[in-house]
Order: sequence, then C-alpha cells, then structure tokens
Amino acid sequence: MVRLVVLWCPSLSTEGPRGEEPRGFAEVLDAAVELAPFARPVRLGVLAIPSRGPSRFFGGEAAFTEHLKGVVGPLLGGAGRVCVGAAEGLFAAVLAARASVLVAPGSTGSFLAPWSIATLRDPDLAAACQRLGLHTLGRFAGLEEARVLERFGLDAVRRHRVARGVDGELPGLRDYAALRRLDAVRCRDEPTEVQRGFFGERGGADVRAAAAVHRLEQRLGHGAVTVARLGGGRTPDDRAALVPWGSADAVSEGRDHVAPWPGRLPSPSPASIPSRPLHVALLDDHGRRVAVSATGLLSAVPARLEFEAGRPRVVAAHCGPWPMAERWWGVSRRRAHLQVLCDDGLAVLLRAERSRWWLSGIYD
Amino acid sequence: MFAPRSELPASTAALAMAIRPTSPASSRLLPVAAPLSSLLPDGALRRGGTVVVTGSPGWGATSLGLALLTAASTAGHWCAAVGLDDPGVVAMAELGVDLRRVVFVPRPRGAWAAATAELFEGVDVVLARPPARVAHTAARRLLARARDRAAVLVVLAEHRDDWPVPSELALEVTEAAWHANGRLVSRRAVVRAVGRGITGRPRYVSLWLPGAQGAVAVAS
Repeated sequence: MVRLVVLWCPSLSTEGPRGEEPRGFAEVLDAAVELAPFARPVRLGVLAIPSRGPSRFFGGEAAFTEHLKGVVGPLLGGAGRVCVGAAEGLFAAVLAARASVLVAPGSTGSFLAPWSIATLRDPDLAAACQRLGLHTLGRFAGLEEARVLERFGLDAVRRHRVARGVDGELPGLRDYAALRRLDAVRCRDEPTEVQRGFFGERGGADVRAAAAVHRLEQRLGHGAVTVARLGGGRTPDDRAALVPWGSADAVSEGRDHVAPWPGRLPSPSPASIPSRPLHVALLDDHGRRVAVSATGLLSAVPARLEFEAGRPRVVAAHCGPWPMAERWWGVSRRRAHLQVLCDDGLAVLLRAERSRWWLSGIYD
Repeated sequence: MFAPRSELPASTAALAMAIRPTSPASSRLLPVAAPLSSLLPDGALRRGGTVVVTGSPGWGATSLGLALLTAASTAGHWCAAVGLDDPGVVAMAELGVDLRRVVFVPRPRGAWAAATAELFEGVDVVLARPPARVAHTAARRLLARARDRAAVLVVLAEHRDDWPVPSELALEVTEAAWHANGRLVSRRAVVRAVGRGITGRPRYVSLWLPGAQGAVAVAS
C-alpha cells in the first residue's frame, strides 16, 4: 500500500449555512498542490498526498509535514487547527491525521488495533461486533476472513481487510459528491461539465484544452465549439452528431459504434457530411429523373448527377440502393441510399427521400 | 543522488518551470499512423510545423487530413478541426481517430485564424480549412503562434497556392481511384510529399485512403 500523508482541517470539514467551507478548502488544496503536485482531496476538509516524493524533496516526512502545516496554517487564520498524519493506506492515514501522528513505516497494523470498531463506518457491523465483544479494530482484524464472510457477508470482508491494514480504501471514506462540488469551486472560470479523458481522469493537457476551448466559446458564443457523439444507427448522419462542448451527452463512448447494427450502410463512411440538406438531381441517359420504386429498385440506370451549383457530373458507376423503411410504429420514414461514383473520381452518398435525391455525404 | 542544497526552489511548480526547456527531442514529435509515416520527414509530425494538404475535391484530401490526427489523438494529444462544417464523424472513427480528444469549431464565423490561434494554447494539432485564400500576414502570425506553442497546424486547401507561405511539408493527392464491388470498397490514392524537410525529389506513396474497413493502409 502507498504511504500517504493526510491533512485534515476540522474547521473546514462540515459545510456551514454560509457555504464558505468548500471555497476555503479549495484554497488549502491549491496551496498543497503547489507543494506536492499529487495532493488529492478525499472529502471536505481532508486531502491525501503520496508521501514518498515530497518527503525526499523536503528532506524527510517530518520536515515535509512541518512545511505543509506552515503553509496551510496561515490560510485558515487563527481559528482553524491543522492535523497532519501519515501511514500506509488511506484509512490508516486519515486516522493518523485525526491523532496527528506520523505512524512509523511498517507499524500501521499495530497503530490501527486500538481504534474503535465504529471507525469502519458501518453501524450494523459495529453493533454486532460490540455484542460479540469485539470493540476494537484489532480484535475484529483477528477474526479469520472466511468466518467474517460467512457471518457478515462480502461488504464486511472489505472492511475486515481495511481493519487488518491490507487495504486502505474504506467504502464511503471518499465523499464523491463533495469532491464534485469542490471541483466546481476550484474551476470557477472553467465550464463545470467538461470532456472527461480516459476513465474520467483529467491531466494537465486536458485542463489546458478545456481552458482554450472556454476562451474560444467566450469569443464565438456558446455552442460554437462542439464535440462528437457516436450512437447507434444505420446511416452516418444518424450515427454521429456534433453536440456543444460541455453538454451532458458529449462523451463519446467509443464503443457504441462498434456494436453490430442490422441494415447499417457499409464502411468506409463519407469523410464529409453536409450539415444542411442539399438537393441534387440524378438523371438517366434521356435526362429523366431516376426514382426508387417501392420495392427498392432504381427506375433507370443513373447517367448524370447535377448539383444545385457547379457543373453536372457524369456517373461512372453506382452501388446500391439500400432501401430502409424505418419507424413504422411512429413517424414512418422511407428512404434509400445510393453510392454514386463520378467519372472525375468524386464519390458521393445520395439519399432518396420524399421523391427527391439529397446529398448525404461526400467520400472526400 | 541529490545532495541537500541550501536554496530549494520555492515550490515544485517553480522547479517544473526551471527544468522545462530540457525536453527530449522525441517530445517535439507527434505520432502519425504507421502508413503515413513514410510521407513525413521524421516519420512523425514535428511540433511547431505546418502541413498543407491539398487535392481535387473528392480525391481524399479531407480523409488524408483527418488521418493525420489518428495516432496523435489515440496517444492522448488534443486535436481540433476548425472550419470543417461537415466533418464525417463516423469516417473519423473508422480512420481510428479517438473522438474523445477532438473538438470541432465547424463555423468560426469569419474568425477562423483567431480561433486557430486560440486553440494552439491548449491543443496539439489543429486541422483547419480556411474559407478562402489566406492573407500573407494572417498565415505568418499563425505560423509564429504554432511555433511558439509547439503545436502543429494542418491546413486543408484545394490548391497549394491557397496557403501563401512556404510550409514544412505539403501533401497532395495526385491520383485517386475507387474500387467498387457491390459497394464502394476502398480508394487507392497516390500522395505526393514535398517540402523543406524532404531533400531531393518529391516522395510518392500510394495509400488505401480509406481501406476496406475505413482505415488508412499502404497500397503495394
């Protein structure tokens, strides 16, 4: 387990009616990050720092914790007490901060033993153990894991591991709701909902990108900067959308689009999708409009493709059509897609809908 | 290893600033997808540089520009697409772009250069399609900004002349032919690379752009 230094500010641990505590703790956190970049909040008023790096930098854990107290103390004014402790694992380190001790490396187990069973944050378990005469973590840790499992269940096994000092992450120790609020306070001038990176973590590059996007939004207006959203569907325009940066459904999972979807248009997909509907005319040899029949067949072989602007193209080949009859249960939508290859190398995806042809994509 | 010194930097942030310039040469390069690496002088995008991608409409210049973002985005670098009001998002996913790292400014409303300059502050690769021929001063300013921020500017243009200053690298799609078999399967494109980084004759590489599954591959 990682050895952690935990800093606890009792005066900032509970949110008062005026809501000043998150802001105050954010200042403490910013100061701690200046000293040790890996300082992370655990809950309101509590933050944890991996001990190894800063201890080497400041010449020992004791020197580092003294330095930390010296930096954080003035931020709290005269009123607040600063408690700092260190131990292996988050749970033991938080208790060490409560007792303001630096637990010697390797003696975390004996440090935990005298603490009350109530520190495991499970009232039912605590009551049952009290009745059994197991008042301390040490007595509870002395039980065999298999016995704990059959008597108390799986959740108690996790707490048992914490009590033994094998695991530091006690369920409920980290207050995620408070951390999100704290994030919002710390990033006041950033959008509160921002793109998450892999597994939701944010690195320095992500913060810089978010800041640049935020400045750009101030210049161009909200909604000018967008991110992609992928979903299910058959056609490229159904499967993807651009949504404003920061909107809740902006995170593209990168997984949905791999799932099979019957009737999906074959890949590769067009590299350009017109953002507004563009009408085109598809004509046969005699200049008559090509139509798609109810059975999904073309009325004639396409020979010419005319855009609203620009010169007409000669159709060299076509693939399809792929007819789709969708949403028969609601607003019925019938359409057919056709890939058209022009003689100059331009390839487009066309859509027949409401007895007209529309440009659905350009294979650019 | 480190002897204790009397004056420690005030904070780790100050320390980080002090050691910042000594970045290794490899961090000045951004990765590109393997099939494209033979087109680029270092086999990668050089930070602070410009790549101009041109080609006749429908010959795959857009696909080539988007394909330049693939490896950088999957490596965790942020990318942006400015002035592409019609990006084929599904095609980008098929090319292998990590869409979680891409922001789009589809319609910068006449401020594409300002938007691009702003994005250089936090984004590593900006793919921009200028609306028309770019003014010389605007291009110069963008180049300086990209160099200063160690970002890469990829310009999508129809003609080489639309970008008024010499670029490190110009990629041009010179030939394109689709293979169809009941559907459009793949496009074989020949890309010519010229630029300051390439000595001697221009390089020609033929690519599947895109290949059967939508990704780029080298065509033998």
